[in-house]
Amino acid sequence: MHDFAFHRPSSLSDAVAAMQAAGEGKFMAGGQSLLPVMKLDLAQPTDVISLAGLGELRGIRVEDGAVVVGAATTHAEVADSDVVRGSIPALADLAGQIGDPQVRNRGTLGGSVAHADPAADYPAALLALGATVVTDRREIPADDFFQGMFATALAEDEIVTAVRFPIPDGAAYAKFPNPASKYAIVGVMVARTGSGVRVGVTGASPTPHRASRFEAALAADFSPSAIAGITIDPSGLASDPDASAAYRAHLVGVMAKRAVEACG
Amino acid sequence: MIRPSRSDHRVIGHPQRKIEGLAKSTGRAVYTDDITLPGMLHGKILRSPHPHAEIVSIDTTAAAALEGVHAVITGRDMPVQYGIIPWTPDEYPLCVNRVRYIGDGVAAVAALDEDTANRALGLIDVEYRELPAYLTPQEAAAATTDFIHEPKKPGHNGNVTKRVRLEFGDVDDGLDESELVVEGDYFFEGTTHTPIEPHCAIGLFEGDGKLTVWSATQVPHYLHRELARVLDLEGAKVRVVQPLVGGAFGGKSEPFDLEFCVAKLSMMTGRPVKILYTREEVFYAHRGRHPFHMRYRTGVDGEGKLKAVDAEILLDGGAYASFGLVTTYYAGQLLCAPYALPAYRFDSTRVYTNKPACGPKRGHGSVQPRFAFEVQMDKLAERVGMDPIEFRRLNFIGEDTRTINELRITSNGFLECLEAVERASDWKARFRQLPFGQGLGIAGSTYISGTNYPIYPNDMPQSGVQIQIDRSGRVAVFSGGSEIGQGCDSVVAYIAAEELGVPISHVRVLRGDTDFTPVDLGAYSSRVTFMLGNACIQAARELRAKVQSAVGEAWECPPDRVDLLGGLAVDTADPARSLPIAEAFNLAEARFGTLGATGSYNTPKDVHGEYRGGTIGASPAYSFTAHVAEVRVDVETGIVEVEKIWIAHDCGKALNPVLVEGQMEGSAYMGYAEALMEEQIFKDADHGRAGLHNAPSLLDYRIPTSLDTPAMESFIVESNDPEGPYGAKEAGEGPLHPSIPAIANAIYDAIGVRLDRLPFSPPNVWRRIREAEAGGGLTKPGAPSREVGVAP
Repeated sequence: MHDFAFHRPSSLSDAVAAMQAAGEGKFMAGGQSLLPVMKLDLAQPTDVISLAGLGELRGIRVEDGAVVVGAATTHAEVADSDVVRGSIPALADLAGQIGDPQVRNRGTLGGSVAHADPAADYPAALLALGATVVTDRREIPADDFFQGMFATALAEDEIVTAVRFPIPDGAAYAKFPNPASKYAIVGVMVARTGSGVRVGVTGASPTPHRASRFEAALAADFSPSAIAGITIDPSGLASDPDASAAYRAHLVGVMAKRAVEACG
Repeated sequence: MIRPSRSDHRVIGHPQRKIEGLAKSTGRAVYTDDITLPGMLHGKILRSPHPHAEIVSIDTTAAAALEGVHAVITGRDMPVQYGIIPWTPDEYPLCVNRVRYIGDGVAAVAALDEDTANRALGLIDVEYRELPAYLTPQEAAAATTDFIHEPKKPGHNGNVTKRVRLEFGDVDDGLDESELVVEGDYFFEGTTHTPIEPHCAIGLFEGDGKLTVWSATQVPHYLHRELARVLDLEGAKVRVVQPLVGGAFGGKSEPFDLEFCVAKLSMMTGRPVKILYTREEVFYAHRGRHPFHMRYRTGVDGEGKLKAVDAEILLDGGAYASFGLVTTYYAGQLLCAPYALPAYRFDSTRVYTNKPACGPKRGHGSVQPRFAFEVQMDKLAERVGMDPIEFRRLNFIGEDTRTINELRITSNGFLECLEAVERASDWKARFRQLPFGQGLGIAGSTYISGTNYPIYPNDMPQSGVQIQIDRSGRVAVFSGGSEIGQGCDSVVAYIAAEELGVPISHVRVLRGDTDFTPVDLGAYSSRVTFMLGNACIQAARELRAKVQSAVGEAWECPPDRVDLLGGLAVDTADPARSLPIAEAFNLAEARFGTLGATGSYNTPKDVHGEYRGGTIGASPAYSFTAHVAEVRVDVETGIVEVEKIWIAHDCGKALNPVLVEGQMEGSAYMGYAEALMEEQIFKDADHGRAGLHNAPSLLDYRIPTSLDTPAMESFIVESNDPEGPYGAKEAGEGPLHPSIPAIANAIYDAIGVRLDRLPFSPPNVWRRIREAEAGGGLTKPGAPSREVGVAP
């Protein structure tokens, strides 16, 4: 690991200022993605700006039919939150499946969303629940947020402050995990709301996406059999020694079916 | 037959702690990397980025000039070839003019710290001329030019390292006369050892010309010899110290580049030098399980008795010979029990490829063919309509017999192993009768308890122990054994305590230092307990006889009336009469002088066939194992869950049943890992840099955690081997073999799909399920249709 300057700003504006002044700056929330790549010298920031001290990024509350989760909330806090479990149990369930206890106790919602690892779990929830990403300067709908592998709509110096998840009628998450890291080889969240069905898919492709053919079929008939005959085109899906694109395409169908079953 | 076991042992056969267990579990045990010497430098090795290239030039000027760098060496500083097998030396400590895999060492640096050494590596300028790389054994075998090593004879393919063709009985006739012949192609993927402790070595060259190397090695004796030869030092001035080793499994059983480099760098700088491999380098060092491409034809008569077996095997050897000569033989030689084969032929070819060298991993050379063979057995049993356990019983070879390739079998508890797992798994009520998706599978195996021949030809003992007794009652065992976690320090302590009547805590085991311990050849081939144990018994009994004699004289009774036990010398005819054991030792020292004795063991040499290679696979005794595995298969995802493995193992006699069970479970765990997860694989040109290790990290290279490991139940079978120490045979490697075919056979029982290629990872299983669905659907196989020996 290379040397770097470590900043602990006490306000959002100080954090943004620190980033603007930095040569090659990186915001750090829980550090669960940034520190491993820094140890391998894959990231060599000159400045690491910690967001850990920012009280305005904390807290979970229900507001206007949505659960608003502060960006610095850890995965463990989401998993254990009575508010989340009471209103969107699928979101708590998803958070409880991330990584391992160490990762869940340090890693945060905002960090995961801003990092946009293509195999992270949260993107499936953001897409399926039609969430909104709240930053220090604007609000971004989930459908516009994820733009590619580790790429988002965020500006360099922009900070995620919260994510607003509308409360669905029902939702469930089904994941085929990497057995070591627990990252999603394929993860699918299905959510049913008054306005229709949304299906968010993570892990399968470089950019998390919605499965529109599943959504249409499920809108007409919300049952596992409604999507049983729909095959997913493997072109464009990720292919690696863990899973070929064809296998991932198959797993998207299996996980979607299981999520629908779990919705009850 | 199970021979009766002596029941009057006080130490042997009872559960005991490992003598170094407390130090290990409290973090106080000293491993090589825990050692820091005054003035010590840290070394790093520059590794090849190319799978196959000529080294045109190396410029180390800038690296040597970097502040904090004390020495830089290249292959030209140690241009002597070595290899663990004396007939196939093909490695240099650092490559001289050719690199043969991504990760091959080309230069090394000693510096004040690791960061400086790493920076210096970046300043070394190597010019390469790339050569065509052979990444598959098929490509390598078909090569006509740019061979990985020069051919030994002109006109030969230099990529072929060894070919063995042996035939016993008439296989073609046997197959012709068979009622049924099953033919199958199998593939065993390469796997590596993943010891928790990375390789580490420290070199110290002192002013008087004496070299000491501390190393995490399984073979201090061979390392001692090779250091002296390669560095051109007198053997008597080289000392190898083996601290505690944090796991090895065959991956530390030959000399490695770092051991030569720390020695040479210390010789150049006059300071101690340490090199600790990164985890990535452990994957490059490898010497793990060879990928095997195998074809078997197995024939049976109308009653289900084996008639003939024909095998063709292609071994993917990687860049160097390592133990490959032996692997090529073991691939065929170790298959001739526990079933009687009237005719057997194998044609086994090992080829070089531009990947890290393969070598011995737990169950060296025989785990792969055992997988194929036991799946063949399952297919045959089904085709002849027999229960696969009955089919194995019918073909049992027996005890006190010879295999078709003339290996001498003494004790053999295989039938008891089969019975134990059959009963415990409730086999008869559940095989072929569980719901679709759930299944049971059986497999059996045998393994050597050491090899009769040392790696370099000599008539000296294979194992030695020296025992010395102090007037306080303390017993010191100077053991040549290599403690790699398997418990060989504890075994000699138990034996000394048993024979000399002292508590285990009064025994000191001094081990792993060529300056003061006798030679033992190393921790490989499951030889240690058998050979070291016998050597220790010999030394201890010589001293026991002296103590009995001296006490008998004092008590005016025959020596054999004096027993030594529980810290006392006791008169067996008059239990009221006893002496503290220290006083008994003092009587003996007064009578005979300073108390010391040596013991040694050498194997019988008349127990193999008189044919070329007939000695390879010959062992003083063989262990036997049977497993039943229970699985649950998710046919939608291809996920196989192993719910339980029942393990029965004939270890002859369990000197400490706790350690034996640990070895059985550890073996089954490792087999389970290879069955379901492990893949030492490399990228091809379509998926990155050709020849680059796919993922040299413990995140991406899959091994099970305790959460993934199935439930296990162990059954120790004691056949009391006539030549083993107290009847003991090996337990460290044999119990791995059946895990893999038992799981394959259980998957078949669950869903009717054969898995002939490893690993049974979800994508591979899913692919096979898809093929089966396309070919007519998935169904549970039918129950066996006939009893033993009844024609259909």
